[in-house]
Amino acid sequence: MVIIVIKYLHISLQTFHLRALLRQTNYNEFINSKGESKVILQLIESIGASAIRSVYSVGEALKFTSLCLIHMVNPRSYNPAMRMVLVKQIYFTAVTIIPLFLMMAFLFGSVIIGAVIALATEYSLQESIGSIIITFVVNEFAPFFTALLISLRSGTAVNTEIAVMNVNEELNTLREYKINLINYLFLPRIISGIISVTSLSILFALIMLSSGYIFTLFYMNMDFHTYKQILISAIEVSDIFVLLFKSVAFGFVIMLIPIYSGLKTANSYTAIPISVLNGMVKLFIALFFIEVLSLILQLL
Amino acid sequence: MLENIALIKEVHEHLATPKAQDIAREMLQKISQEHIALYRVSACSATEIFYIQFIRALMMKEEHIMIVTPFSLIDNLRNINVIIENIKILAHKKHILIVDMLSNEIHYKGTACNTVK
Repeated sequence: MVIIVIKYLHISLQTFHLRALLRQTNYNEFINSKGESKVILQLIESIGASAIRSVYSVGEALKFTSLCLIHMVNPRSYNPAMRMVLVKQIYFTAVTIIPLFLMMAFLFGSVIIGAVIALATEYSLQESIGSIIITFVVNEFAPFFTALLISLRSGTAVNTEIAVMNVNEELNTLREYKINLINYLFLPRIISGIISVTSLSILFALIMLSSGYIFTLFYMNMDFHTYKQILISAIEVSDIFVLLFKSVAFGFVIMLIPIYSGLKTANSYTAIPISVLNGMVKLFIALFFIEVLSLILQLL
Repeated sequence: MLENIALIKEVHEHLATPKAQDIAREMLQKISQEHIALYRVSACSATEIFYIQFIRALMMKEEHIMIVTPFSLIDNLRNINVIIENIKILAHKKHILIVDMLSNEIHYKGTACNTVK
């Protein structure tokens, strides 16, 4: 077992080293006699190759992320063209979705808060109903639901847009004109993602809490002043901080991952749907990872 | 198209968008193409796209501009002189080099430009 592990690690770095090592051991002769060495070698090679590929792609993604962050804090990145794209991106990501968003927040708000209140009443938790609603709406539901909606709507659009630009050689044309792709194309989208998800999460939470009053009015016969006081006394600074932290993190990955996926599209039109598919899968994994990470941090 | 041209000045010279677009509009007016200012690429003909590409190249600081095989860029182009006249109007301060194949030599007969084989 030890020999195999040593060989595996070795082959992950340099495949031909393993061949040399195998020649020096009796183990190799034993395997050769069985006629299985080629199969095992191929298996180990494929594991090593996929390990190298994974490490390389993670390194590439981290390098791209850090480049975007460096450009984000550099004032020279904010030229007039970039600002124009940023305004348009905010309009398309955050403003055009508002009617649908308001309707969904209202419907979900009244129904879900209703369910939470009904459950709390059933388990005699009326005393802590305020903190239950705040934790559920502000910390969890509003940012996560907003992130899902924006990733489905804008994440896919950005991934397709960048992939099409890549396939059509538009990105190369911009490079030819010495236009920095991060400043002109990626940064406005990432910043608009952060601004849109944060503002829409706050809006979603506010509407959800307001619409929740409708249920409390009919179910618990609670007046608005009491409902307001319950919520105000339950909310803490840490709740606002969690909402902002999660929204910023969600907004960042919702744009970054589709952009990166679009950039990695192979040079054919048939590669575009594959790129969008891969990008969306990675994005949803990242969203769940952030959600789990924030839950763990809150528990600490 | 206006944004497409103005982009170069906005990025390289940090020129405000309205000013950069004014310069782009002025260039289009010089060759009587101002009607395409608000068109999208799909609405433009090959000749119009060529002019946009050329004006965009003019927006750069580089002194030399090279046009490679204009007959493959513009469909159904019969007379290069129309293009050359517009290039002269637009780029009187720059050095323009047109590179083409010998098979297209016939199209360049009668032009006032220097021809090198």
